[in-house]
Amino acid sequence: MSMRDEHIPTVMPTTNRSANIGATLNDDTSRLEAIAKVTGAARFSRDVYLPNSLFVSFIRCPYGAAKLESIDTEAATAVQGVLDVQMSRKRGQYHGQPAGYLVADSPSAMWRGLRALNAQWKPQPVKTGITDEISGPPPVPPSVQSLLDEAENTLDTVYTTQVQTHASAETHGSVVDHHGDTAILYTSTQGTFAARDGMEEAFGIPLSAIEVRCEHVGGGFGSKLRAGKESLIAARVSAKYKRPVYLFVSRAEDHLDTGNRPSSRTYVNIGFNSDGTILGGRMQSYGGVGVGGNGGVHVPSGRYSLGELARDHTPVRFNGGAERPFRAPGAPQGAFVEELMLDEIAAITGVNPLDLRLARTTHDDFREMFTLGAEHIGWSSRAATGSQKGTIRRGFGIGSGSWERYPARAEAEVVINRDGSVEARTGTQDIGTGNRTVMAVVTADRLGIPLRNVSVRLGNSTLPIGPASGGSMTVHNVAPAMMQAADDAKNQLLALLADRLDAASQDLDIVSGEIRRGDETLMTWSQACVKAVGQPIVGRGNRTQGVARYGGAGHSRGVQFVELAVDVETGIVRVKRIVAIQVCGRVMCRKTAENQVMGAVTQGISYALFEDRILDHNLGSMVNPNLDMYKIIGTADIPHIEPIFYTKGQTGPRSLGEPPTIPTAGAIACAVYNAIGVPVRDLPITPDKILAALEGDAA
Amino acid sequence: MPDEHPDSSCDDQKRTDAAVGALSRRRFMQTVGLSSAAALADRARAAAVADDTGAPPILGPGAVDIALHVNGATVKVKAEPATTLLEVLRMHLGLTGSKEICGRGACGGCSVLVDGKLVYSCMMLAVDAISAKITTIEGLAEGDALDPIQESFIRHDALQCGYCTPGFVMASTALLGENPRPSLDEIKAGLSGNSCRCGSHSNIFNAVLDASGQAPIHDGEGA
Ligand code: FES
Ligand code: FES
Repeated sequence: MSMRDEHIPTVMPTTNRSANIGATLNDDTSRLEAIAKVTGAARFSRDVYLPNSLFVSFIRCPYGAAKLESIDTEAATAVQGVLDVQMSRKRGQYHGQPAGYLVADSPSAMWRGLRALNAQWKPQPVKTGITDEISGPPPVPPSVQSLLDEAENTLDTVYTTQVQTHASAETHGSVVDHHGDTAILYTSTQGTFAARDGMEEAFGIPLSAIEVRCEHVGGGFGSKLRAGKESLIAARVSAKYKRPVYLFVSRAEDHLDTGNRPSSRTYVNIGFNSDGTILGGRMQSYGGVGVGGNGGVHVPSGRYSLGELARDHTPVRFNGGAERPFRAPGAPQGAFVEELMLDEIAAITGVNPLDLRLARTTHDDFREMFTLGAEHIGWSSRAATGSQKGTIRRGFGIGSGSWERYPARAEAEVVINRDGSVEARTGTQDIGTGNRTVMAVVTADRLGIPLRNVSVRLGNSTLPIGPASGGSMTVHNVAPAMMQAADDAKNQLLALLADRLDAASQDLDIVSGEIRRGDETLMTWSQACVKAVGQPIVGRGNRTQGVARYGGAGHSRGVQFVELAVDVETGIVRVKRIVAIQVCGRVMCRKTAENQVMGAVTQGISYALFEDRILDHNLGSMVNPNLDMYKIIGTADIPHIEPIFYTKGQTGPRSLGEPPTIPTAGAIACAVYNAIGVPVRDLPITPDKILAALEGDAA
Repeated sequence: MPDEHPDSSCDDQKRTDAAVGALSRRRFMQTVGLSSAAALADRARAAAVADDTGAPPILGPGAVDIALHVNGATVKVKAEPATTLLEVLRMHLGLTGSKEICGRGACGGCSVLVDGKLVYSCMMLAVDAISAKITTIEGLAEGDALDPIQESFIRHDALQCGYCTPGFVMASTALLGENPRPSLDEIKAGLSGNSCRCGSHSNIFNAVLDASGQAPIHDGEGA
């Protein structure tokens, strides 16, 4: 962090989002690196241009399946500035699959080289989705059939979801600066330590000689958890030429070949009685994983009692880029199925969807959050599903979600210097979650000093080990380690000070930047550091002991309530308000936590209404591989989002990054159903599907 | 897809590093309001010597000298005429605050002011910016004194990963230049050329409201 970052405060109160003020460890601090990010000073890996760099581009298959008939590597290497062309395959199995790469000494030489290759690919037959393989589910097993026969009502239907690409703002890529015996890997990653795993061969040096740097990361939603092929090739080329290598993929390549949330198709046969009691049935899901993966659909979620369910899942492969984990993998798909199914049952039985959920929920937290959310959104003004006749119809919907608290190894250090400055150290990355800010907040809190004394070092593999930003694992694992490290440093300082003052260290404490003995103020923090600190004090902590001491247990549950309007003439959906009630344990930093929730909700709306990776059924090519065609939610589509933390009885941190994106799509689907009286069971809910649903209903 | 290109980049980093400090000073106020869009068309011509037939001169295909006025300093680079302004800023001048997110006019990550007018620098050739006054994100603050819109972005935590942030800050600056007290709907419309994957929009709206002396949206007020 530069001097400037330390001297401009980020502690700035706001009052507009009042629900959580006073209920968090720190209400007023904005993220520490905000200054660097609003001035353009923050250096992301893609911003690292080193002198004498080489530029590398993949050569990719342009169709869903194709044979490489010819390629003119000689013509390409004859282009001035092109150093090398390496081919690795002659067949492609998905659009964007790498078949080789080209090395050049400038970007323009790289483009000219790629053009000179004049690659001729012959398209082969392709499969582009689940229905190319699966025409329907297997028959319902006899045991389930008897259960369905017993029920007063049944619902037999299918829910489908699309492929969503991660589309982080900073594309995937790396800069490798190889010095022969050592190397630096600047990479856009969600895992500082995972980013070099298995890379020793590509680098030709031991892992201990590779330093990963990712001080700022331009977003990550699950696709940047491991060392990618971008790093691998950059490392190889840098090792070979002993020159820095710059390899960042284009937006189009990022859509094609860096993972996605797989599509899904879930067949539901469920039996229920007219009082809303659900007896059970069968759920058969298929996950559209492209060339690899499992594509799981997280349903039933366990949040509702749905009777006895026969459950099966099968991944389906086709000619598309492989799936990767995407923010709460499988969960938004499953929540969409489950919540819309509940609303269909509610409509058939005439039970209010809120009452149905209150009756079927499996956890008291949910019951309380449903009641609270209903009040906030104004649930009582909801019209019965299908009862509205006007052009603009209002809809209300409910969704829910839950996420575990996955343990991961984490260590931390807190260093106190003689000048009173403090460094909180963790190797983990901050991909925009607020990890850095939380670490400063907990360190300052444990030490009893103002936040401005604390700077955070992170995003570097030479710092203490910690988890990747995946599974919502950073804060609830690293913060306890950091708190222990801060306490350790504080105890060391007080012991040294007690020596100097001829006092007992247990009588001393640090409060608001002052050293106190009982009510007596002995000196300031800075005076104490000058007096007692010689060599820097290093406090250490780890997750296991930290969690035992500072708590943090349980799932992160959440519910969301949506209010929207549907124009039945155009099919356009306008989301008006979303109330997001979220459990995440003790909230460490209000603003960054609220931002996580709002971001997750915003992505959920985008998933529900807009995003869709479309493959050409004939050639298997993605037809919309850039942001002008792959529609992501824009400013005009943003509703008012109210994040409310539910903190009753919670002491330590829990997970937060993923859980609030789980309920949104389901809640929106329910609200659309409520508005128009016909369920749209296929995401994204685009205007054409709404009009078709209304037409089918009228017919 | 051979025409879907990765990044663009820079080779004369070293000699421009020294210029970067000078480029990062706040001079943009002088440029705001001096917009002269018509002049842009003539600039490429001004950059080269017209031949005696009077036909427009042909630049390139090799690298040509390009002089730019960026954040109050005049800088010279040598680049092929097909080089975008974004590429020159990022790779030749080391001004990496402007980001490439889409590379083709769909995200606003590369937004800068050219003669006070908001421009996607990935969609403008550097030669077309000759003799214009260019302000990048690095030119908004004056030393430690941030522009009010920057401060407001910080206060409202109007960012997460921060990769879209420079573009949103520039677009907000341009919006407030044209409309000092925009309504929420006007803010949404004014920033609709910018995209944020992390979903920081709600806080961005509040930042712009606050920076224009208006109360941010309170929870419970609805949209
Ligand atoms: S990079 Fe210029 S508009 Fe997207
Ligand atoms: S803050 Fe990450 S893209 Fe906007």
